[in-house]
Amino acid sequence: MELPQLDPTSKQNPPDEPELDLYTIPSHSSWFSWDEIHATEEVSLKDFFDGSSITRTPKIYKEYRDFIINKYREEPSRRLTFTEVRKSLVGDVCLLHKVFFSWKWGLINFAAPSTGGETLVVGDEERYKVKIEGVPTGIRVVAMPNSIKPISALPSVGDSGGAVDNGFKLPTLASYSDVFADLMTRKGLVCGNCNEICDSGHYKCMKGDLLICVKCFKNGNYGESKSVDDYKFNDCLQNSSNVGAVWTEAETLLLLESVLKHGDDWELVAQNVQTKSKIDCIAKLIEMPLGDYFEFCPEKNKIGDQHDEQRNESEHNGDAENRGPPLKRQRIASAPGDGGSLMKQVALISTVVSPHITAAAAEAAVASLCEENSCPREIFDGEDDYVTNGLLSPTENCETKRVLEDPEMKERHSQSGDEDSCFKKDDIPLTLRVRAAVATALGAAAARAKFLADQEDREIEHLLAIIIGTQMKKLHCKIKHFEDLEMIMKKKHAEMEEVEDFLISERICVLQRAMSAGIPRWRDHSYVKS
Amino acid sequence: MKGQTSALSKSTAVKFRIPTAENLVPIRLDIEVDGQRFKDAFTWNPSDPDSEIVVFAKRTVKDMKLPPVFVTHIASSIQSQLADFRSFEGQDMYAGEKIVPIKLDLRVNHTLVKDQFLWDLNNFENDPEEFARTFCRDLAIDDPEVGPAIAFAIREQLYEIAIQSVASARESRISKKGRRGAEHAIVSKAGGTAMDLVKLFGHKSSVVRKRKEWDVYEPIVDLLSNEEVDALEAREERNGR
Repeated sequence: MELPQLDPTSKQNPPDEPELDLYTIPSHSSWFSWDEIHATEEVSLKDFFDGSSITRTPKIYKEYRDFIINKYREEPSRRLTFTEVRKSLVGDVCLLHKVFFSWKWGLINFAAPSTGGETLVVGDEERYKVKIEGVPTGIRVVAMPNSIKPISALPSVGDSGGAVDNGFKLPTLASYSDVFADLMTRKGLVCGNCNEICDSGHYKCMKGDLLICVKCFKNGNYGESKSVDDYKFNDCLQNSSNVGAVWTEAETLLLLESVLKHGDDWELVAQNVQTKSKIDCIAKLIEMPLGDYFEFCPEKNKIGDQHDEQRNESEHNGDAENRGPPLKRQRIASAPGDGGSLMKQVALISTVVSPHITAAAAEAAVASLCEENSCPREIFDGEDDYVTNGLLSPTENCETKRVLEDPEMKERHSQSGDEDSCFKKDDIPLTLRVRAAVATALGAAAARAKFLADQEDREIEHLLAIIIGTQMKKLHCKIKHFEDLEMIMKKKHAEMEEVEDFLISERICVLQRAMSAGIPRWRDHSYVKS
Repeated sequence: MKGQTSALSKSTAVKFRIPTAENLVPIRLDIEVDGQRFKDAFTWNPSDPDSEIVVFAKRTVKDMKLPPVFVTHIASSIQSQLADFRSFEGQDMYAGEKIVPIKLDLRVNHTLVKDQFLWDLNNFENDPEEFARTFCRDLAIDDPEVGPAIAFAIREQLYEIAIQSVASARESRISKKGRRGAEHAIVSKAGGTAMDLVKLFGHKSSVVRKRKEWDVYEPIVDLLSNEEVDALEAREERNGR
């Protein structure tokens, strides 16, 4: 092993021994040793070991290798680039390139961060390997189309150099349908062996997770290292929509009614729907697009936390019209591996709005989807009918729509078999559901936003009116004030005139008295003016 | 010297082709008509039918908004270079290892690249484009035109050296000197370009370069400002004329 036997706690090395640095290397490269060339290396870099030229010998390879690894270890946290090493090594750069990038065993660059800018690297065989930084939400990565075994993106640690093996290899010119074919096709259980869909029961292996179909079991293809005893026969799993009990219309109707009546009491429900067991009832209800409907039973909280707020709101409003987005949400949440976070957001958005808006938005979303595609119309309308029978008064929108479609629906249903409608209902394609849910949520959020905007407008108007009123009052006050002042001025003016008159009359009196007394005229006559 | 002759004697003659993973011919265009100059450099697949040349020329003229008289010039230039290539095609060249130094000294828009490294001329799996990609990625070069320019420069040099080796192979056959003499002649001719393999890779030496030589072989990438670019362009034009 390459790691020196150092006791990390003890710092007292004998002074003459050199200090050994402790390096951690990934366990999948633990075969590496400085002193020799491992068989793995020989196999992958044959050029050096077949004696074809004097420039390619094991000694030279060892020198290259040791140099590169030492260079990397000088600073393990930084990503060593090819250009840094090739300047220091003599030899054909392309050969060096090959050596550098062939180390997928984690000898170098395992602790370095992978560069974010790399999105496309051409590997040795010139195939395009796409590096995916984690899987985008809502997408399920599978090893190959038509298989339901999801694989997760390989961790970025443990890669060397630039040839990245993260994510998965797409064939050149891969298209959407190649990668996501399984999402678009029907979901059914696929046999691990022959990759066909298991129609009737299937055999589940006790030890591992392998499913094989009946055919394979009969033929004896059990998969590696498994024998007959390991397999248990499994008929109609709850997940499989095609497999399992067939529900007729009448049964479904009974089921819904009994759920309404009894809520979560599955015994009673199962009794009502005599032909089906308790488990079947639960499964059917979960699978049905209106699975969320029974949240309204105030007793129990069946569905997960993300629906809690929704439920409370609906209880308050006491309205049965939440079947819009919750339908789809419920369905999607039960499907394995789909982006939970996306759906949670959708759910959260929808819970913020009131149910009327939500329902209207759902209908609008469904309608627009139907316009695109006639198939969803059948699917969505199929469930409409069931819902009508069991539910309380819907909102006007929904009602008118359903009334219109009801006559059509009744015809259609009488024509198409029960199986068909069941099948279609349960098997709403995932993509449509997702889109419906998203459209609904967005519609609901938009409606809410508009409502808020209207509210704000009104507030603004109201406040403006208040302001204007206040200004008017102010002006009025000022005017009044000025009028008062004017009054006072007039009065004063009048008083002044009176005083003037009085003074004049007094003067006249004095003058008269002076004249009658015979006093001679004063010199300052000129001053006496009137 | 024994080692070297033994290496050469292992070599087998191979039909001429561009010694890279993909047999693409480097084509350089430098056409001047009525004071308008068009320079370009790209790789051409010699197995494409010749009708493609005219199509390509027309499209280039249209995209670059050149006067239509360029079409014939471009087409004829490409054709003559391809004809040169084809004249070598029938002949033999030496396979077997030949390490040659490749020097890069080019300017692409605002990026100046100077580099030097060793390349095995006769390893037909070598890919200049891959080297250029790694180069740009490691040095974080943003300009997307730099990579192809580097690959083109490498290809051009390989092409020239390959032509030389074909010429020398031809001469050795013509020469009347004995076998050993011929091989010596080859050595002396090729010695200008090829490295002495024994000295480099023999038992006594190390493939790790001495530190003082690291700078010589280190790539230098410079970003130029607009004025520097203009100055360099002016100088290049003067040199060209």
